[in-house]
Amino acid sequence: MVLQLHVWGPAFALPSIDAQCLAAIAYCSEVLPKDSWELIASSDPSVSPTGELPALQNGSIWVSRFRNIVDYLRQYSEGAWNLDQDLDDVQKADSVAFSSFIESRGQSLIDLYLYVTSQNYYNNTSPAYGSLLQWPNQWILPPKLHGAAKTRTEHLGLSSLDLQAMEDQRKREHSAAVASGQIPSNLIQQPRDTVSKLLGRTAQTNQFRLEALTADFFEPLEAMLARSKTCLLPADDNNNPSSLDCVALGYLSLALVPELTFPWLRDAMRAKAPLLAAYTERMRSRCFGDAPVEPKHAFQPVPAALPWRAPERISVAAVGSTLLGTLADNTPFLREVRQNRRLKQAVEADSEFSSVEKQVLSSYADSSNKDMLLSVATAVAGTAALVGYMVHVGLLSFSTGGVEEEEEFEQDAGVLQIDPGSAADFLGAF
Amino acid sequence: MTALGHFGGLDFGLYFATLKRFTTMPPKGPDSPPEESNASPFFTVPAPIKRLFDKFPLTTYPANEIPQRLLRPHDNVNQLYVFTDASGARHGRPSFNPQCLKWQAYLKFVGIDFEITSSNNHASPNGSLPFLLPSLPADASNPIPSHKIQKWAIEQVHCEEEQQLNMRFEVYASLLDNRIRSAWLYMLYLDSENFDAVARRLYVNPTTSNWVVRAALGHQLQQAARDELLKTSRYIDAAALEADAGGAFEALSTLLGEDEHFFGRPNPGLFDASVFAYTQLILDDTLGWKRNRLAQLLKEHPNLVQHRDRLLKFF
Repeated sequence: MVLQLHVWGPAFALPSIDAQCLAAIAYCSEVLPKDSWELIASSDPSVSPTGELPALQNGSIWVSRFRNIVDYLRQYSEGAWNLDQDLDDVQKADSVAFSSFIESRGQSLIDLYLYVTSQNYYNNTSPAYGSLLQWPNQWILPPKLHGAAKTRTEHLGLSSLDLQAMEDQRKREHSAAVASGQIPSNLIQQPRDTVSKLLGRTAQTNQFRLEALTADFFEPLEAMLARSKTCLLPADDNNNPSSLDCVALGYLSLALVPELTFPWLRDAMRAKAPLLAAYTERMRSRCFGDAPVEPKHAFQPVPAALPWRAPERISVAAVGSTLLGTLADNTPFLREVRQNRRLKQAVEADSEFSSVEKQVLSSYADSSNKDMLLSVATAVAGTAALVGYMVHVGLLSFSTGGVEEEEEFEQDAGVLQIDPGSAADFLGAF
Repeated sequence: MTALGHFGGLDFGLYFATLKRFTTMPPKGPDSPPEESNASPFFTVPAPIKRLFDKFPLTTYPANEIPQRLLRPHDNVNQLYVFTDASGARHGRPSFNPQCLKWQAYLKFVGIDFEITSSNNHASPNGSLPFLLPSLPADASNPIPSHKIQKWAIEQVHCEEEQQLNMRFEVYASLLDNRIRSAWLYMLYLDSENFDAVARRLYVNPTTSNWVVRAALGHQLQQAARDELLKTSRYIDAAALEADAGGAFEALSTLLGEDEHFFGRPNPGLFDASVFAYTQLILDDTLGWKRNRLAQLLKEHPNLVQHRDRLLKFF
């Protein structure tokens, strides 16, 4: 059986646009014999029952996420396909800790670099997705990924890299000033920033934060590399890479290789960590081949360093289900029901879960379904109670009061009678 | 006058009158006479809503008294505001929140005198606990948020900034901040039995006795934890979270080795405090865990358990 690795497609001269996928590709290319696996740029998380990429398919078995793939390959080959078998305890501990470090810090930086920085997203990342996704996903997936990256990096307080968010914020403040207290428009403080001024200032204030973030990320890795010379964590005496080096390659190559409009991460890496930059180039040509990967390689495979296989053309049924799914996901309430159902299906389909875990997870999905129904019921009951109370105390009345309506009419007439005076005043003031 | 009184019927009417005048009047010079308030046809309050607001205020409560604990004299004692209960605050016992416990333990380890005060997120200037109110200088009323406590402590007692001493500090700290924290969030908030037995008792019930508010608060807490975990993955996989935490404990255990404290230091420091913040709470049976998978994983590493027992003597 040929193993098939499903990933996000190639971009920026790299075989994938996603760091975890790059790590998985690097690991497979290191550990698997050349003809035992295929690389498929399906670029659609819905191909896998877990809804995540990278995903390794072996017949009917699907395994997603880098670490699960590493574990699965080790078990499947009974220990033969394992880059980390010769590590001692201290090295194993380092491998776990550095992986966690690279995944958490690296992901934030990549999110900021490729997605949150507006110039890079609109000039580079978004077009790259356009060329690797099929219709209709090219309209649906990039905004989702963009939004997810923004939420992940919110806590870093660097939203000023996001020019769109800055503009929204300014408009919100402006319209809030107009709405609150009806200030005459000539008294509202005009926004003093021109676009170029804004750009200049945010670039400076961001600079400090970005300096600190990139230094925190690169310094420990550079120090580690200075000690071990060839790889972050050599797997044996011949300096072959270990699984940690694959993870590092995934994140570092996305920092170093792409040609972007505002290349702050690449500049920081070259300035702060020259050893790391050289190491990334070395690992890249070792795992992904010397020639830069182009998107067309993935769709019309030619003999290349990586065993590409063209993804299946998208069928009409698949397009229909994607469109329906997106519609349902954007409908309130329906979205949550679907999310919970998806979790349950994934759990029940996955034979690797023990029965206890299955029970726990499906009870979690059930209970969050119940939570959702409860909140719907609460909202309905609350509205009903308010309306009921208003009817009860006579604030609202349904078709009982001819008297009431007359009264209101008189009030309105009174208001209208006063009005000509105010118009006269208005004219008199000039 | 009480806060509620400000929204009394009279003030409210005045507010409407001002609003109406603003909508109809053009800007005028300062010497023009004040105009009678005229209703505009474009801005009338719908009758049912007007009658609803005419009924306010329904009742006006007397002013609250100043909390008793603020009347206690606290001269020359630093105050650390953490999640804890009244008796815990009196005896200086470990807080039940990992972030708070980390800084509480750190200040104890570096030898700074302080008292803890029971508080919640609403009290904090940056929206999260812990924060510190230093006693000196006497006029300083500026609270110190958690990410600046270390800097303050270094200024006070001239201890070392441990991050600079070992490059592995930040790397291994990411295990605590990501893998162990995620598993902790799952175990405390999303495991429904634990949530009812532990989180509800510690975080929700002390805030109010109203069951509707309790239900809403509990739901919010769980939703926040769920959102946090879904930031990094598309679905929550309990088995994977636990496996990750197990791997993290193993790595920390290897890092500690036979030493008394992390990185072979003679005295416990910030990293020890960070580890202790989780190991203490995971191993604390008085919290009443119903399902404690993390404790099983942690007990596979006796040196981490002994490390926690040693540090517990500080309290």
